[in-house]
Amino acid sequence: MGDDSKLGALRKGFLEFLVLRIVSGSTVYAADILKKLEATDFATQEGTLYPLLSRLRREGLLDYRWQESDAGPPRKYYRLTAAGRQQLAEFGAYWARLNQTIESLGS
Amino acid sequence: MRAVVSVSLNGRAYQLEDDAHAALAEYLDAAGRALMGNPDQAEILADLEQAIADKLQRGLSPHKTVIVRGEIEQVIREMGPVDSDAGNGVPHDGVPPGGTARNGNTGSAGAQSPGTSGAAASKRLYQISDGALISGVCKGIAVYLDVDVTLVRMLFVVATILSGGLAVPVYVIMMFIVPYANTLEEHAAARGLPFNARVLVEQAKLKASQLADRAAQAAMSNHSRAARAQWKAEWRQARAQWRQEWLRGRAQWRAYRWSGAPAAPAAPAPHPSMPPLAHFISEVLGAALGLVAALVTLVWVFALLSLMTTGAVFNWMLPHLPLWAAVLGLIVLFQLVLWPLRAARHAMMPSFHGYPYPWHSLGDGLVVLLLVLFAVWYCIHHGDDLRQSVATLQQNVQPAWHQLLLAWQTLVHGTR
Repeated sequence: MGDDSKLGALRKGFLEFLVLRIVSGSTVYAADILKKLEATDFATQEGTLYPLLSRLRREGLLDYRWQESDAGPPRKYYRLTAAGRQQLAEFGAYWARLNQTIESLGS
Repeated sequence: MRAVVSVSLNGRAYQLEDDAHAALAEYLDAAGRALMGNPDQAEILADLEQAIADKLQRGLSPHKTVIVRGEIEQVIREMGPVDSDAGNGVPHDGVPPGGTARNGNTGSAGAQSPGTSGAAASKRLYQISDGALISGVCKGIAVYLDVDVTLVRMLFVVATILSGGLAVPVYVIMMFIVPYANTLEEHAAARGLPFNARVLVEQAKLKASQLADRAAQAAMSNHSRAARAQWKAEWRQARAQWRQEWLRGRAQWRAYRWSGAPAAPAAPAPHPSMPPLAHFISEVLGAALGLVAALVTLVWVFALLSLMTTGAVFNWMLPHLPLWAAVLGLIVLFQLVLWPLRAARHAMMPSFHGYPYPWHSLGDGLVVLLLVLFAVWYCIHHGDDLRQSVATLQQNVQPAWHQLLLAWQTLVHGTR
């Protein structure tokens, strides 16, 4: 019974990391992020992503600029700030350490 | 014919059938409520509206200009419920010690429901059945105090020996009173950590290592499995042997302690001659002491129960003491009170029987244990009556105590 909710909560914690990673690749808008996540275990909906993006922007990890789109109104295109890049690097280092720990404990 | 409502979503007009409009309004209302207090509430709502508008656009064409309820419901399903916590980036200041603290925003995306995040993490005593030997009381205490569980178990064993088995009913009481940590939040509260991503990561780490362990075991060849089984059996045997030796050693040590003589089954010494009157007095005195000890035990068990259930000892609130410290204090106090009584009783024992007999101390311990078990049973079944009588007793005793204190003070001041 607990497994699903545990993993669900874990996914939620990791979402921030993954979003930063996706944004680090290229400037993207929200629908791009959702599309990239959709194929993974971390499939997310707008209702979750938008508040998260807004918080990351408030914390200075992301910023966005408006860009005209050929279909419909202008869109927000997100990119990482310097602080965001640093945060992502820390995330990555932690993740590597975590992986190592898991490997070393599982032998 | 249906009524159509025109709405503006982020600056663009859409035409919705009335029930479609109701569904959309309900969703946006809920989103607004979920984002209450979020500094970016308006902006997020605008983003959400924009996303809804984009999705609605798919279903529109020059020949279909009105949106029906089914389409709105589909869009709402795709959007998903608006998650207040992911945006409610209240930094937790309680970064756990020893962690690789990044900065304050570790856990803001982790909490499940509003109310679990943001609040300062409070610590509670729970039983933790994960990795428990019996019920998880020791494990819970270890987690609560942030010490190794082995240390707590060793202390418990020491306490059991020193108290002549009294720690066992304490454990049983705690088993029934201390709640189990079932949810992730409760596990976090047991550690006094905010329920955040770090905790989840640590638990995932543990889980992953367990999984890897299991996988490794499954991958092991039959041969190494057999070797493992053999090793296990050997270990079990060694443990049993060690246990036997320990029990034997303990019995000897006890006998030595009670009688002051080595426990080698010495030939029964003849009764030392003793005047019948002295013998009678010592027996009566011994019985009286036993009765007093039983009474003290009863009061103590009830005090413990009252502390555990109401947080106060006989309606006396304890001054800002954590529960575990109060329990510990109570146990120490009990031992302090009981120790001279027991010492006196044991000093008289040889006079009953004439010679030190190692089994006697075992029987004595058993009697005490039964007495305590009975006291626990009595307190559980007649707790309310007892509480009332104790409360009235306290009302009667307190004035007397005050007068005694006053008399003592005047005495001290008078002699000065």
